[in-house]
Amino acid sequence: MKAFFYGVALQWRLDIRSKTMLITCYLVPLLFFALMGGIFTSLMPQAGDTLIQSMTVMGVSMGALIGLPPSLNEVYSGESKRVYQVNGAPVCFGLAAMALSSFCHLLLMCAVIYFAAPLAFGAALPENPAAYFGALVVFIAVSLAVSGVLGVAVKNQAKLTMGSQILFLPSILLSGVFFPVELLPDALEKLGAFFPAYWGYRLLADGGLCLANLWPLGLCLLLAIGLCGLFLKK
Amino acid sequence: MSCAIQVESLKKSYGSRTVLKDVSFCVEQGEIFALLGVNGAGKTTVLECVEGLRRYDGGRVFINGRRGVQLQSATLPAHIRPMEAVKLFAKWRKALVDQEMLEALEIPQMGKKQYGQLSTGQKRRLHLALALTGDPDILFLDEPTAGLDVEGRRSLHGQIRALQARGKTIVLASHDMAEVESLCSRIGILNGGVVSFCGTVAQLTQKVGRQYTIRAVTGQGEERLEVENVEEALLALLQKYQRQDEAILDLSVSRGTLEQHFIKLAGRRAQ
Repeated sequence: MKAFFYGVALQWRLDIRSKTMLITCYLVPLLFFALMGGIFTSLMPQAGDTLIQSMTVMGVSMGALIGLPPSLNEVYSGESKRVYQVNGAPVCFGLAAMALSSFCHLLLMCAVIYFAAPLAFGAALPENPAAYFGALVVFIAVSLAVSGVLGVAVKNQAKLTMGSQILFLPSILLSGVFFPVELLPDALEKLGAFFPAYWGYRLLADGGLCLANLWPLGLCLLLAIGLCGLFLKK
Repeated sequence: MSCAIQVESLKKSYGSRTVLKDVSFCVEQGEIFALLGVNGAGKTTVLECVEGLRRYDGGRVFINGRRGVQLQSATLPAHIRPMEAVKLFAKWRKALVDQEMLEALEIPQMGKKQYGQLSTGQKRRLHLALALTGDPDILFLDEPTAGLDVEGRRSLHGQIRALQARGKTIVLASHDMAEVESLCSRIGILNGGVVSFCGTVAQLTQKVGRQYTIRAVTGQGEERLEVENVEEALLALLQKYQRQDEAILDLSVSRGTLEQHFIKLAGRRAQ
């Protein structure tokens, strides 16, 4: 366990040294928040009610789906995986360390949004902060698990970038972050339900750990963990 | 002497292609053993099976001691520092960091440089240090000097000899025959899915026949002959130049190299 925790702490430091991770986990989501927060609340003052939730879903999806897979690919498509194996580390160590480190980075970024949004844009805070952060933990975990599948399954960098975008763009456009899903055509609304961001946004916006929104995320988490295990065994 | 590694009837196929038909050999404790073979002969597959990185279809592998592996094309995350990597894998192996070994490989001198900024030689030394973490009894080195300059090569050869002197068993995979000849006690040649030869270089010479290279320089140019009966060939050459009234400016005879023996043996099998 000592080695595992040292590895996670080391991965945290490596992520800080890596510009890609800083850009996808902090810079872009927070810049987007700073820019779009202002636009959203000035165009539609009622957007302030869900600004924290929508910016959080956007930031987590970006950090997890765009930021994590390339780092995982560096380990699992190349010889790093074998270096880990021959030096006594379990094959899942790279994935677990990177996911946990990303989890902490994303949680930090979400906390910045949570505390800055009311001050900068007069956004409303969730009624139950504990339930909100509980829901946030679930959503980050599911997003990272899905991006984990992508990172360990796709070996080719170009295909990986394409895969990340294929998951990221619909996650954002069909989840209700920018406009209510009720305004979307039926088919697109149904399609949106296949992405964790759709349920994540509902979970965060409903102000608590509502079972109706939790079970699809739980199912997705289990499925993603199973797939990760399968691809790692290959 | 007892075996540090014993491989018995190892079999491995990739789909319908059989790479290892029946591979058997023994690596004795404290020796430097090289596994040779042409590209595609299955050296890497054998090594990976022995290192525990690949499953095999049949046969048995016995390892008598702890393993340390230096992979040929190993990489680490670009932002990791050498000492961080050493500490990480020392923790996974539940081993102490051997400062003396690290000093010998000049790891602390790499300082705060990140893996992506290291030279090829520094990366090789770092991976050797990782393989040596936990003080393994058996060391697998896959092309350890590939991409190194002459100085780096000589330094690493010295370190490999020092490790053998400390009682380590070393299994080497290399395409550099001169390196194998100078470092290894015994060699195994993999050919057609089986070990076609296992023994010392001297035994290989006996098996394939002695081979000499005669080099003669005259006013007309240079002549090179590869022969088995050196006395007979020399006499014929001298008589030829005498008849032609040609003055010999330089004449040398050299023993056949491992490379020549290897090519000869691999060629015979291929035929």
